[in-house]
Amino acid sequence: MSLEWQAAWQAVTHHPLFGVGITLGAYQLAMAAYEKTRWVFLQPVLVSMLTVIGILLLCGLSYAEYQGSVAALTLFLGPVTVALAVPLFLNLRRIRQLLWPILITLAVAGVFATVLGVGLAWLLGAEQIMLMSMAPKSVTSPIAMLVASQIGGIAALAAVFVMITGIIGAICGPALLKRFGVRHQAALGMALGLTAHAVGTARALQESEECGAFAALAMSLMGVVTAVLLPLAILMLL
Amino acid sequence: MLLRGLSWLVLCQLLGTALNVLLLPMLPGPIIGMLLLFGFLLLRGEVGEPLHQASSSLLKYLPLLLVPPAVGVMAYAEAIAADFWAVAGALLLSLLISIVFAGWLMQKLIDRQQRREDV
Repeated sequence: MSLEWQAAWQAVTHHPLFGVGITLGAYQLAMAAYEKTRWVFLQPVLVSMLTVIGILLLCGLSYAEYQGSVAALTLFLGPVTVALAVPLFLNLRRIRQLLWPILITLAVAGVFATVLGVGLAWLLGAEQIMLMSMAPKSVTSPIAMLVASQIGGIAALAAVFVMITGIIGAICGPALLKRFGVRHQAALGMALGLTAHAVGTARALQESEECGAFAALAMSLMGVVTAVLLPLAILMLL
Repeated sequence: MLLRGLSWLVLCQLLGTALNVLLLPMLPGPIIGMLLLFGFLLLRGEVGEPLHQASSSLLKYLPLLLVPPAVGVMAYAEAIAADFWAVAGALLLSLLISIVFAGWLMQKLIDRQQRREDV
């Protein structure tokens, strides 16, 4: 008798759990590699992303199908975002001591990050729709997607730029900041959360709990402020 | 314990979603949910054990949960390829400059505040 290898392969790769399976597998491999080497370029999110994309391409699966099969994982991003309130609250005392530095950094560096990104892309000749998808690059993806579609960009592209920004920030951020003499945990966390949102916050949590709390704070403040002010600013400028 | 904490998180997110539809279309549900939970913790003055357990277990897996949205890059490979150098250059340069600027500014402000308290 002949075994139906082809049919079995199809059944496995198109099973609803296949996406979850490769994501879990890739993530654990990436974590193990990172913990063993502690090499900054092996950021777990980046390595898992590349591994998963590789497997999907090899198996001939589309992103749409993968997205459908990992919906259960994606669903938990909501409660996790809510859970960030806990480290925020636990570090409230330290945050209160640094209230003015936080507010000033948020206002000045937040505007700077957004304007610089759009300005550079404009100078380098990117299209208007690209610019509008890029404007919210420093905020967490659900907000970025909303804001981008409000100001005339493409929501999914915005999510991609957000991810790229976050991954670069997580890879280069801590080493770069330390080289420029930024040693205070609050300043490290603030810079990571403000510019590299959730991925930066995940990276900051690896540094220390205090660093993570400031990153979560910066990420949520930056998100809220961008969601409210960026559409208004674009409306007034155009 | 874990389930009770998780229920609180889900409840806050659902309340956030309701508020998002009713009043605040520009803020996504989870962010409103986080602000709600934060407000609730402020009122209560402490983090209960179930909530602490649920949030720290979930936060441990934050990088894992970010993998699926990151894989979304592959769906827009063509659109990015068209403007690749402009986009990549702008993203990289602006991130590197603004992350250093944010960290440097925050550090300076912290130092200044500490000096003033010492005087």
